[in-house]
Amino acid sequence: MDLAMFLSVIIGAIFVNNFILSKFLGLCSFIGISKETKPAIYMGISVTFVTTCASIITWAIYNFILVPFHIEYLRTISFILVIASFVQLVEIVIKKFSQALYRTLGIYLPLITVNCAVLGVAVLNSEMFFKRGINTLTSFTMSALQGFCVGLGYILVMLFMSGIRERLELCDIPKSFKDAPIAFIIASLMSMAFMGFSGFRF
Amino acid sequence: MKKLFKEFFKGIGSENPIFRLVLGLCPALAVSTSVVNGLGMGIAATFVLLGSNIIISLIRKFIPDQIRIPCFIVIIATFVTIVELAMKAYAPELSKALGIFVPLIVVNCIVLGRAEAFACKEDVLASMLDALGMGVGFTFALLLISAIRELLGNGTFLGFLILKNFDPILYFMLAPGALLVIGLLIGGINFLSSKRRSA
Amino acid sequence: MSKLTVSPSPHIKSSQTTNKIMWAVVISLIPAGIAGVYIFGISSLNVIAFSILSCIFTEALFLKLRNKDPKAVLDGSAVLTGLLLAYNLPPQTPFWIPIVGGMISIALGKQIFGGLGQNIFNPALVGRAFLQISWPVYMTAWKNPRWWPDAISGATPLAKKASVHFSYMDLFLGNRPGSLGEVCVIALLIGVAFLLVTKIISLRVPLSYIGTVGIITWVFGKEGFFKGDFIFNILAGGIILGAFFMATDYVTSPLTKKGKIVFGIGCGVLTAIIRLRGGYPEGVCYSILFMNAAVPIIDRFTKTKKYGFIKK
Repeated sequence: MDLAMFLSVIIGAIFVNNFILSKFLGLCSFIGISKETKPAIYMGISVTFVTTCASIITWAIYNFILVPFHIEYLRTISFILVIASFVQLVEIVIKKFSQALYRTLGIYLPLITVNCAVLGVAVLNSEMFFKRGINTLTSFTMSALQGFCVGLGYILVMLFMSGIRERLELCDIPKSFKDAPIAFIIASLMSMAFMGFSGFRF
Repeated sequence: MKKLFKEFFKGIGSENPIFRLVLGLCPALAVSTSVVNGLGMGIAATFVLLGSNIIISLIRKFIPDQIRIPCFIVIIATFVTIVELAMKAYAPELSKALGIFVPLIVVNCIVLGRAEAFACKEDVLASMLDALGMGVGFTFALLLISAIRELLGNGTFLGFLILKNFDPILYFMLAPGALLVIGLLIGGINFLSSKRRSA
Repeated sequence: MSKLTVSPSPHIKSSQTTNKIMWAVVISLIPAGIAGVYIFGISSLNVIAFSILSCIFTEALFLKLRNKDPKAVLDGSAVLTGLLLAYNLPPQTPFWIPIVGGMISIALGKQIFGGLGQNIFNPALVGRAFLQISWPVYMTAWKNPRWWPDAISGATPLAKKASVHFSYMDLFLGNRPGSLGEVCVIALLIGVAFLLVTKIISLRVPLSYIGTVGIITWVFGKEGFFKGDFIFNILAGGIILGAFFMATDYVTSPLTKKGKIVFGIGCGVLTAIIRLRGGYPEGVCYSILFMNAAVPIIDRFTKTKKYGFIKK
């Protein structure tokens, strides 16, 4: 395995092209659920789990069904359907086997279906790793890795943001800028800090 | 008749999806680097909204309640695919500029939100006007954001050079600029409406 | 001065103490400013003046808009922000660069969060990063020291394709192109000594920061495994200025002792990674901003110890 490509996917997905801060994917949930640390972390974990699994499943669909039959134009429909049913399935399984886990994560799962980050990573994988010259094994590993790291990047930013917003409760922010506006401005400044990572080479 | 007008105009003003409901942000921020891109995305999303709202409203009585969300998603995804293919064929430049954000209209919370909150309960005409209003409101917000970003970040509007002898502020062309613009806009709108209320 | 208490937010300090600290830090920065003006000429003085004036003006404007006591403009924090911003700029810029930078620093970096003591990010660095991203051309037009034959150079010692060799002495005294206030290490250290004697800063953040950068650049340096030139990496660039004067800012650094060390190490790791592998030659500004964002979380996970609870 090419170590340089490996590292660049990891650093790329977590820092350089962080889904929230530079691609704006999953922004709605980011603004909505980052008011407190605990829910933010649970949401992050759920998202990571789903992006990883969704990357693997959509890879299989793209590689074994869409590409061989030349029906790539069905990508959007098939991906979103698979993601939606997968999330539903996870919800049912968790509900069946662990009530405690369901109580903590349950309310976040339906939200994930319409989280752009999940479909985003699936579409991005299919565009990044299915060019000519990349073999099947690489594209599978890279897709799964990218799915996982996108989730990690999501957790990282959620963690920072929720910490900051908990602290903001005590700050004298202009009234019109409370909640969403200040969250966007902080996200802007965080995005600026993350830009220090641009141009990484391995 | 009055009610129908209200359905149309609420999307533009009091329930503007971006500034008021804070929904559908990913495309609003990601593609708003130029007015042309913003307009393209706005029209594409409006088309999907309109199509899916009409269809869902038409067949709302036949959709079983338990599986309504998957049904909505299939209908929405169909319209998104139509837009995707049409854009690739007739506006390849725009399609390239908007990139993965065209397929991502599927998960745009506005579209699913309107299906769930409005189209599956109301008749076709009302749903149509609701979709049009939301679409116009979304497009208007996109135009505003992208006009600010293009003007400050590139000194141009619709590609024409407006600000001469001006060093463009690159910040607004990049990701942080988008977040800043929307933060300041929402804050500004809050401020103006709170002022109006107290006056 | 010896009775300073540093406690978790919210910060309620008497204005007396805050003022004293702010002005003391301003004073400690003066030697580096004099060195900068001496090395790069009068243009640096313009940068400093425009930057400070812009910060004071913006601060006054916000205080007026929000109906606060206008006298707070003299608490020294705006002057300090302006000074630090200027020290992070090239010694010769178009006059409006420090002005815009000052406005951004105060407005976006500080006042939008509610003013003194409530900001999340270091205001001066917010301004500097905004300028760096918006006008990269002006922000990398380095000027050579006055006595060099050609006035404008392209590269600081940290540039990836640096052609000139700098001795440690050059770097220590500031005989090199670079940001206005970062070049003269000896002048900065005089200020540091003052801050240490008056107990305004502690060594936890700076030492863990500089130590981490040193170790990483030594182990993974471009000269080879365990052969990196770590002295060069510490002296060149803005680490001394960043580690002692900006990473130690009370408001934007952790409050716990353990947290401070975590914060310093984090800054160090990021700076070293950006320098060795990143697209920018220098990473001090971005690293500190990044870690600023992590401060509330660091505080959260390091504070339990304070109450003397034993984990079971």
